[in-house]
Amino acid sequence: MDHDPFRWGRPRDDIYGKYDYSIANSEHYFQEHKDKYSEFPRMNTQEPIVTGTSVIGIKFEDGIIMAADNLGSYGSLSRFTDIERLIEFNDKTVVGISGDISDLQKIERLLEELKIESSYDDVNIEFQADNIHKYLRNVLYSRRNKMDPLWNSLIVGGIGSDNEPFLKYVDLLGVEYASPALSTGFGNYLAIPILRKFLEEKGIDETKTDSDNFRNIKEEEARKCVLECMKVLFYRDARSLNKFSIVTISKKNGIKLEKNLKIEDMSWEFAKDIKGYGNGQRY
Amino acid sequence: MFRNNYDSDTVTFSPTGRLFQVEYALEAIKQGSASIGLRSDTHAVLVALKRNAEDLGSYHKKIIKIDNHIAIALSGLAPDARVLSNYLRNKAMEEKLVYNRPIPIQLAVNLLADKAQQNTQSYGSRPYGVGLLVVGYDGSGPHLFEFQPSGQVLEFYANAIGARSQGARTYLERNFSSFKSTTERELIAKGVEALRQTLKDTELTSSNTSIAIVGKSGLKIFENEDVEPFLKQETALDLAGIDENSNSTDIEERNPVEQTQVNDTNVETMDTD
Amino acid sequence: MTSIGTGYDLSNSVFSPDGRNFQVEYAGKAVENAGTSVGIKCKDGVVFAFEKIISSKLLVPGKNKKILSIDKHVGLIASGLIPDSRHLANRARQESKNYRSFYKSPIPIPYLVDRIGNYVQAHTCYNSVRPFGIMSIIGGVDEDGPHLYMIEPSGVYWGYLGAAAGKGRQIAKSELEKLDLPNISCRDALKEAARIIYLAHEDQKDKEFELEMSWISLTETNGRHQFVPEDLLKQAKLLAEESDEEEEEDEDEEMQEN
Repeated sequence: MDHDPFRWGRPRDDIYGKYDYSIANSEHYFQEHKDKYSEFPRMNTQEPIVTGTSVIGIKFEDGIIMAADNLGSYGSLSRFTDIERLIEFNDKTVVGISGDISDLQKIERLLEELKIESSYDDVNIEFQADNIHKYLRNVLYSRRNKMDPLWNSLIVGGIGSDNEPFLKYVDLLGVEYASPALSTGFGNYLAIPILRKFLEEKGIDETKTDSDNFRNIKEEEARKCVLECMKVLFYRDARSLNKFSIVTISKKNGIKLEKNLKIEDMSWEFAKDIKGYGNGQRY
Repeated sequence: MFRNNYDSDTVTFSPTGRLFQVEYALEAIKQGSASIGLRSDTHAVLVALKRNAEDLGSYHKKIIKIDNHIAIALSGLAPDARVLSNYLRNKAMEEKLVYNRPIPIQLAVNLLADKAQQNTQSYGSRPYGVGLLVVGYDGSGPHLFEFQPSGQVLEFYANAIGARSQGARTYLERNFSSFKSTTERELIAKGVEALRQTLKDTELTSSNTSIAIVGKSGLKIFENEDVEPFLKQETALDLAGIDENSNSTDIEERNPVEQTQVNDTNVETMDTD
Repeated sequence: MTSIGTGYDLSNSVFSPDGRNFQVEYAGKAVENAGTSVGIKCKDGVVFAFEKIISSKLLVPGKNKKILSIDKHVGLIASGLIPDSRHLANRARQESKNYRSFYKSPIPIPYLVDRIGNYVQAHTCYNSVRPFGIMSIIGGVDEDGPHLYMIEPSGVYWGYLGAAAGKGRQIAKSELEKLDLPNISCRDALKEAARIIYLAHEDQKDKEFELEMSWISLTETNGRHQFVPEDLLKQAKLLAEESDEEEEEDEDEEMQEN
């Protein structure tokens, strides 16, 4: 009987052999044997640092409309208020990015590089929205397989190779899916229900991605719904801002990016009833 | 006897700035049997003459499929063409994998050109000894390119390479302006007619002629008995101007040999010239 | 030629007793009969023009571009072995791409040209490669304004107000010297470049050619390298053809007077 209480309930040395402390102290162990294990342990991004919140998007009869606010949060601090997260690629493609802002900038530069490379040869065949989506999916998926992800979720919108409105999601895992209405991040809980209700009212089955029943949505209606979503997001998402951008791409009118929009017709009446809201304790 | 000191490798310029090894490589194209390429506003066509080394031997492949929208015809060293087509196939797949789109033809031939150029500027490798006609259809319509071992790639309305191809070129130069709005069948017929101009003591038969056509609906390659109708049709065309029996463009009805994997493996195993 | 038969001209990277590198000189010969390239430095940018000799009437007009884009703001045009110019352009593209990814800004053109000059020079140092058989004109607009350079097969490069290479370079040069460079606008330089190419083509009238032009202008193209729009190209061609005919008439008159 081992009378040392420390050892009670632990694997017995006579059965399992002595515990190898170098495992627990692996950091020191590998420090000492740097020549052999210089690469260990290697750590890549474990969490996003400066972040952008939701991007939302919806298809309408001959195009798509997307929106994202201009905030870059540092934890719960509203650190930057002028981040543009809707990236124009060409007049048929836009990429809306949420998640880590430095990784957003990396994606921005990748797209810029792609743009320059595609102008090398006298090809005259432009990348369409679906090509850009596939490219970014490959980038994100290969980075995830390197265990060094770009910490973003993004929505690629525009006109696809089939000359139809295109809207598709992809995230840091390489997961991709399409729907007539999409959102990233917190918007999945706050905006999607509103967007889906809108689709339902229009008699649209959003589970059918290939159907073209987004066609009875007018651009104005879609825009109204998106504005409503942005308002709700600002009400309820603590990492959001009342300044945002909207981009519209339609077959008819091409691309239109509107910046510095403000959320309108808000009512914060209810706020006075919330305990702990605003300056000083009221109750 | 005069000896040319400047023609033994690709890294030596002659005193007049010529690269003889590269020029000799261009000669190798003329050793191969003829290939014809031509295009209309909607389609591009390859027609090629196959050779067999002996009566009991098989005919050597002249038209190679690269992707659903690109094919090449070769004149010259067939093994070199296989290396290049392999490279091109990989690049086409890469484009599909990364961007999910068929590789633009101009981009594809530029890749070939750059690959061939490398072999003309460094010691230890020879230039490719094969000329290619590349046809394809992409977002900007049908295309026909000629590739040369020098690394030169040019886009043509119509062209012919290989043995005795001058006759075909003359025919094409005379007629290419009328190709613009021809039907698929007529375009093939013109290609066959152009190929006839390269013949001497031989006839076009279903076993020595290969045909490929590419358009919006994709690539079709015709070999063996499937070539027969086009050879017959040509005589009809000659006599009656234009074939009036069928003005349909439904080449599918002819049950073409869509190149399948089986055929692709053939490409890999055949290296008879 | 004195070089032939001495044995010093059979390999790259070999000096002759009087200190010449014949293979580099021969590479220069590859340029002398090639299509003429012209580059003009203007107050608001750079204009390129190329005399593309048409080897067959079966070629598709307007395609087979010989002027190459290096980056948004840089273009390259070369006389000589065309495949070599693609090789060099690919290298230049790599350089400017690397610069962008490192510094997040467009590559300064003098720096780019220096790098490319080194690359060309390296091809004169080893017997495992041959020199580039091209004279390449590189130009563009960066934060310091317009730049125009020409790199020779030896790797030597100079900055130019107006550069010309290829078969018609002598005529082109003397015409360029008459212009008020770099105080000309890109729009005017287009017409001059077209005229010069037509003039330089005089010597080989039997051969067909196609005029290819591109430009990088702060006022016209927002500092980007682009092919000249169809209407401007057409206009420049027309003017060039007219002045070409006038010149011929003048010559005829002179002859009659004599």
